[in-house]
Amino acid sequence: MPINLKIPEAETREQRLGTITQWEGSAAQLARDSAFSYGCAKGCVTGGPEGGRRLCEQNSPFAQASMCAETIAVTNATIIQDSVVIQHSPIGCAASQSFTCRYYRDLAAQRGWALEDPQSLCSNLTERDMVFGGIAKLEQAIREAWDRHHPRVIFVATSCASGIIGDDVDGAAQRLEAEIGVPVVTLHCEGFKSKHWSSGWDVIEHGILRRLVKTERRNRRQDLVNVIHLGGPDVFTPLLAPLGLRVNLVMGGSSLDRLAAMSEAAATVTMCFVLSYLATGLEQEYGVPELKAPLPYGLAATDAWLRDIARATGREDRVETVIASERARIAPELARLRDRLSGKKGFVAAGAAFAHGLVADLRELGVTVDSAYSFHHDPSTDSGDPRQDSLTYLVETWGDIPHFTVSPDQHFQAHAALKRSKPDFVICRHSGTMAVLAARLGIPVLPIFYSNDGLGYEGLLTIGRAILRVLPRQRFYQDVASHSQFPYQPWWRDQTNPYALSADSSVA
Amino acid sequence: MAKSKLKQIAIYGKGGIGKSTTTSNISAALVDAGYKVMQFGCDPKSDSTNTLRGGDYIPSVLDLLHENSRVDAHDAIFRGFGGVYCVEAGGPQPGVGCAGRGIIAAVQLLKQQDIFDELDLDYVIFDVLGDVVCGGFAVPIREGIAEHVFTISSADFMAIYAANNLFRGIQTYSNKGGALLGGVIANSINTDFQREILDDFVARTRTQVVEYVPRSLTVTQAELQGKTTIEAAPRSEQARIYRRLAQRIAEHTESTVPAPLSPQDLRSWSAGWADQLIEIERKSQHLAVAS
Ligand SMILES: Nc1ncnc2c1ncn2[C@@H]1O[C@H](COP(=O)(O)OP(=O)(O)OP(=O)(O)O)[C@@H](O)[C@H]1O
Ligand code: SF4
Ligand SMILES: [Mg+2]
Repeated sequence: MPINLKIPEAETREQRLGTITQWEGSAAQLARDSAFSYGCAKGCVTGGPEGGRRLCEQNSPFAQASMCAETIAVTNATIIQDSVVIQHSPIGCAASQSFTCRYYRDLAAQRGWALEDPQSLCSNLTERDMVFGGIAKLEQAIREAWDRHHPRVIFVATSCASGIIGDDVDGAAQRLEAEIGVPVVTLHCEGFKSKHWSSGWDVIEHGILRRLVKTERRNRRQDLVNVIHLGGPDVFTPLLAPLGLRVNLVMGGSSLDRLAAMSEAAATVTMCFVLSYLATGLEQEYGVPELKAPLPYGLAATDAWLRDIARATGREDRVETVIASERARIAPELARLRDRLSGKKGFVAAGAAFAHGLVADLRELGVTVDSAYSFHHDPSTDSGDPRQDSLTYLVETWGDIPHFTVSPDQHFQAHAALKRSKPDFVICRHSGTMAVLAARLGIPVLPIFYSNDGLGYEGLLTIGRAILRVLPRQRFYQDVASHSQFPYQPWWRDQTNPYALSADSSVA
Repeated sequence: MAKSKLKQIAIYGKGGIGKSTTTSNISAALVDAGYKVMQFGCDPKSDSTNTLRGGDYIPSVLDLLHENSRVDAHDAIFRGFGGVYCVEAGGPQPGVGCAGRGIIAAVQLLKQQDIFDELDLDYVIFDVLGDVVCGGFAVPIREGIAEHVFTISSADFMAIYAANNLFRGIQTYSNKGGALLGGVIANSINTDFQREILDDFVARTRTQVVEYVPRSLTVTQAELQGKTTIEAAPRSEQARIYRRLAQRIAEHTESTVPAPLSPQDLRSWSAGWADQLIEIERKSQHLAVAS
C-alpha cells in the first residue's frame, strides 16, 4: 500500500506495518514470522510451513513505560530551525518540551547554530474548551506564535483532547496560513491512535513530505544524497566526500532549506529503517530513489552500502578505492580492539533496526551477543522491500540471537532479561530504563544518545573504544550495585524470563 | 487522470425523518443510472444501508476496529443492490464511549487506504445521524470531504427547527472551507399546505427545495421486504420521484451558504404558520360538524 499523502493524517504503524512492542523468542524465529519473506497472513496462526504469520503482541501485564507518539512528533518538529510548534492540547502534553529544549541546545552547540531555546506554545485546553470547542484558542495561539516569533513555519500538533472533540485543526491551519503567509503544518498525533511512539516519526515525516519539500525539482543535484538520521554528528560526510558526494543531513534537527532540498537529491539513505517513511515517500512522490542496502553496521554491510550509493549516483569507478583505503585505515586498530574485546559478552538494547545494527557491530568486534532487547519490532517497512529486512540480514550474516526480547523499555522485563544474559557490559540507546538498571545490577553500561556512533568503518572503532572505556569501571558499577535495592519480590528478582507473567508464555 | 471527479454528498436531518430511506433510494437510483456509488452510513445504529442489502445488517468499520488493531478497509465494504458499495461507520453502544470520535476514525480509515479512488467512485453519499452534536458528526462536511450537504425535512416544526440548526452548523463550516448547502429534500409532503410551509422556510433561509417526496405506502411496503422503492417498485410513481431527486442531486453543482433564522425569528415565523394551521383545522372541523 503506497503512502497516502492526500490526507493530513498519517496511517499508524500498527496499521501499515503491523508493528508490535511485545514479543519473546529467538531472532531467527522473529525474522521468519515477519511479513517480509512470506507475506502477512491475516490470522495469528502460522501462515506457511516456513513461517510468515500475523505477528501478534505477546500477552503481558507489562505494557507501560513507553512514551507518547505525540512527543516524538512534537520534539522532532520543534528541533527544526525557524519553526514554532503549537501543541493544541492540555498543558500536560507539553511537559516533554523541557527535554526538547535541552536537546535543541545540545544540537545547536554541535551544529554551530545560535545557542537559543526552541520556540513552542501550548493552547492549554481546559474543561471549557473541551465542551465548547478549542478552535478559537488555537487560532489565537497561531497568531500569537506569528506575532512573537515570525517563524518560517508553524506546526500545529493535535492531542488526545483535540482529537476526541473533533476540533477542525486543518480548517484553522488553512485559514491562518492564508492570513499570516507562512505554512501552518498540522501534525495529527493523538496519543491514543497508536501505542507505538515510533508512529510519531511517521507523523512528522508525513507533514514534511506534504508541506515542506520543494514540489518542483528544477535542479536535480547529482552529487547530493539525503541522509535521514536520528540525530548526532555528521559521520557521513567523511564516508561520502571521497566519492564526490555531498550529504543532506535531515531529521534529528534540520534547517528548512535542507528539508526543501530533499526532492532534488540523487538518492536517499536512512540510518534507521524506523525512519524510512520519509525515504519511501520521497521516492514515491518525487522519484528520489530510496537505497535499500542493509544499514552500514559492520565491514561487509558498510562495503555493500557504499557500493549501493555508488551505483545509484554513478560512482562505481571510485568506490572500490574508497572501500579499500577505509578498510586499510581502520585495520590495525580494529585488530587491536578485537583482541581486547574477544570473549566479552555484550547486551544490546535499542529500537528495531538500530538494535540489529549494534549487534552486528559487536559481533564484528568479536563480542559475544546472546541477548538483545528491541523496543519495538516492525514486521515490514513502507517500501515492503525485503532488502530492508534488517533482522533477517543480521541472522543470515551473523547467526541467531537466542534471546530476542521485544519490549517497550519496560523496567521489570529489562531486569529479567539482564539477569538471564549476565553480560559483561550493556550498550543501549537512550539513557532511561536500561542504563540505570544495568548500573544498579553492577553491569558497566554504554548509553548512546546520538545514534550515529556505530555507523560505518569508523563506527566500529568508536564503539570499540567506548566499550573499552566502560569495561574497566567494573568496580564503580559494583559499588553502585551494592548500594542498590530493587522493589521486587524475591521470585521476580530471580526471574530470567521477561515474559514469565504472560498467559501465552511458551518460553522456558 | 481522465476519470471523472468524485462527488461527495452528505445528507443530514432530524432523527427518524427519512434520511436512510431517502439516501438509499438516491443511491439505488444512481447505480441504476450506471454510476459507481458508495453509501456511507455515519450512525452508530448501523442501519443506513439495510434496504440496499435485503434488510441485512453489515459489520461496521468500527466493529472491525473493535476486534482488530489492524483493519483492512476492504473488509468493511459490502455490495448491495445494483453493485452499490455499502459501508457503515458503526459506533459504540448507546451511553458509552464516543460516537463522534467513531465517525472520525471510520472516515479516516477509508480515506487513508484511499478507497474512494481505488474503487473509482462517482458518488459517495454520507447518511449522517440526526443532529451535529459534536465535532465528530461534522466530519463529513469539513474541508476535503463532502462538498454538498442536503438536509431532509418534513413540514413539521420540529423537523424544520432541526434543519435550521443544521444550517447553523453548515454556516460555521462553510465559512471555513467546508461543504455548502445544496438544498432541502422535502419528505412526507402530501398537501399544498405542507409544501407552502417549506417553501416559505427555504425562501427565508435563502436555499431551495430540491424535491418534494410524498409520504407513500409503497415506501413502507418496500421497506418491509428489506428493499428500496427503486428495487421493489421500480415503476411506481414514488420511484419516479426518487429518480428525479437522484438526477437533480447528480446534476447539482452550485451550493450556497444558508441564512439560518435566529431563535426568535424562528419562533415568530412558526407561530405565524401555527395560527394559519389552527384556522384550517377549525374550518375542517366546522365542515365535519356541519356535514
Ligand atoms: N416518503 C416516505 N414514505 C413513507 N415512509 C417513509 C418515507 N420516508 C421515510 N419513511 C419511513 O420513516 C421511517 C424512518 O425513516 P428512516 O429510517 O429513513 O429515517 P432516518 O432519518 O434515517 O432515521 P434515523 O435518524 O433514526 O436514522 C421508516 O420506517 C421509513 O420507511
Ligand atoms: S497520550 Fe494524549 S494526553 Fe497524553 S501526552 Fe500523548 S497526546 Fe497528550
Ligand atoms: Mg437512519
